[in-house]
Amino acid sequence: MNSLISTIDQITRLTGHCVRWLALLMVLATCAVVILRYAFDLPSIALQESVMYLHSALFMLGAAYTWQQGGHVRVDVFYRNWIGERPAWAERLGIVLLVVPVCVFLLWVSWEYVASAWAIREKSQEAAGLPFVYLLKSLILLLPILLLLQAIAEFLKTFRPDESLTAANTSNGGQHD
Amino acid sequence: MTEFMPLILFAVVCIVLMCGFPVAFTLAGTSLLFAGIGLLTGTFDAAFLSAMPNRLFGVLSNQILIAVPLFVFMGVMLEKSRIAEQLLRNLGLLFGPARGGLGISVILVGMLLAASTGIVGAPVVTMGLISLPAMLRNQYSPALASGTICATGTLGQIIPPSTALIILGDVLSSAYQQAQLKMGIFSPDTVSVADLFVGALVPGLLLVVGYLAYVIVVAIVKPNAAPAVADREPLTPRFLLSLLQGLLPPLLLIVAVLGSILTGKATPTEAAGIGALGALILALVYGQLTVQRLREVVDATLQVTSMIFLIFIGAALFSLVFRGFGGEELVHDIFSDLPGGVFTAMLLVMVVIFLLGFILDFIEITFVVVPIVAPVLLAMGVDPVWLGIMIAINLQTSFLTPPFGFALFYLRGVAPADLPTRTLYKGVMPFIAIQVGILLLLAAFPQLATWLPDQIYG
Repeated sequence: MNSLISTIDQITRLTGHCVRWLALLMVLATCAVVILRYAFDLPSIALQESVMYLHSALFMLGAAYTWQQGGHVRVDVFYRNWIGERPAWAERLGIVLLVVPVCVFLLWVSWEYVASAWAIREKSQEAAGLPFVYLLKSLILLLPILLLLQAIAEFLKTFRPDESLTAANTSNGGQHD
Repeated sequence: MTEFMPLILFAVVCIVLMCGFPVAFTLAGTSLLFAGIGLLTGTFDAAFLSAMPNRLFGVLSNQILIAVPLFVFMGVMLEKSRIAEQLLRNLGLLFGPARGGLGISVILVGMLLAASTGIVGAPVVTMGLISLPAMLRNQYSPALASGTICATGTLGQIIPPSTALIILGDVLSSAYQQAQLKMGIFSPDTVSVADLFVGALVPGLLLVVGYLAYVIVVAIVKPNAAPAVADREPLTPRFLLSLLQGLLPPLLLIVAVLGSILTGKATPTEAAGIGALGALILALVYGQLTVQRLREVVDATLQVTSMIFLIFIGAALFSLVFRGFGGEELVHDIFSDLPGGVFTAMLLVMVVIFLLGFILDFIEITFVVVPIVAPVLLAMGVDPVWLGIMIAINLQTSFLTPPFGFALFYLRGVAPADLPTRTLYKGVMPFIAIQVGILLLLAAFPQLATWLPDQIYG
């Protein structure tokens, strides 16, 4: 069990550690758009769209990593005072009843949508835009896949003694540390 | 029973939320369960669910919200490169020798920090770690110190460029279009993030002035609560120079970012990108930029962005299901049956949002509650900028109010253990009074929010 958890955790961590650099790329690309526009009066639709791609990939591919790191905000009005098995049960129920159905639903409902974008290799509506809308739309499937993977690890972690919920307990919305 | 399904859905979501599972998953999952029940009992049309992929793509291609990760990057960069700490030390040395001076510098730095971060919680934590020990060490009354920090920490939501206002601006602009289309106006007016930024300036500054006035009054009436700082620095040219060096660059950065948005020279996204690069350069110049720190900054940016947008996605599913059960008509009916028209409707919304502020934070309320109530209120003729600022100040007040206010929890988490929670509560009371005062003033004189945008954008 522990080896499965650590394998999944490693995969998720690896995606997070790669994807987080997209934030820096986004900053640089946005500045490039601004400089091209204001200094050289050049339009740059493709570059502008690439900022949108980077932005989308950042949170769609980073959501599972954020979950692993305890970065998704929780309402801990009662939760913080819970002791013993109760937080673990809340976690298990949440994963089985909320996360898994939502991810399966997203995969099921979006499959056709993404497949048809692939079938025509959907391009940007702008002539000068990026011809990769089908890749952008694929993020809609990658989000639930990555979340489902992490869900397995998070579910198993609730059965580990002691440290089971340490990540969850230290998490708090806007804090980033 | 069926016609009240939307309200039951909302209530159940709130209850499930309190079990502490991540908000985004709770929103999406609970809504999906309700849709399932509705499908089984034949009270819900599956067509609503099939709109989900399109909604998701709408989240991905939303042009306004691209500014969010960029502003988060800028704020985290400024925070992690210890620029705020340096500022507070310098300002403390400048104002410290006067009674109440340290309190004043905490408010001023808080305002700057707020303007640069704009994420709920982060400023309270930073200030709690830097300012609280300094104030306590200098014999400030613990109640005054903790109250000042909590209140100043929540300013981040109202002082532009705030992430909270960007999200609110995006939601309000689509609500405004929706409301006008329903009224048969097919070339609708628009409301933009910049409108909201400009509208927030006067009320935000009024709050700051209110806080400052309170600290000054305390310093005069009860000198022991806000004494002069013992360690002074003579006002030498060298000291003044180092003060300017610490103060000017971040100030210029914020003014440049804000100015380029307000004058319409740049979109919020462009300004945020330049601001983020500016923060990066500042950190480099101050010798604070290491690979390790950059790694921390991008990691925090990733996590905060994912957190916000996953809630957006959860809220998108919630709103589809809410509408599928006829929620829009229900809310509309409830509001139009109210005696007293717009006034009662607005009052009701404000009270509900205030109470929801105890369990939900700004992002969730903006994505979940505002899209439900705003179109109805706007259709009744409420000004969108005024509505946005009222919501923002109202929520800020809610975050300060014991026993559930978020800011109090954040400060409690970093305050020394021997500071009694009771003192904390006592300390925020005067600030809550200031908040409520400004809120009432704004309710009575909407021009406080709408005048400046009118002057600038006509």
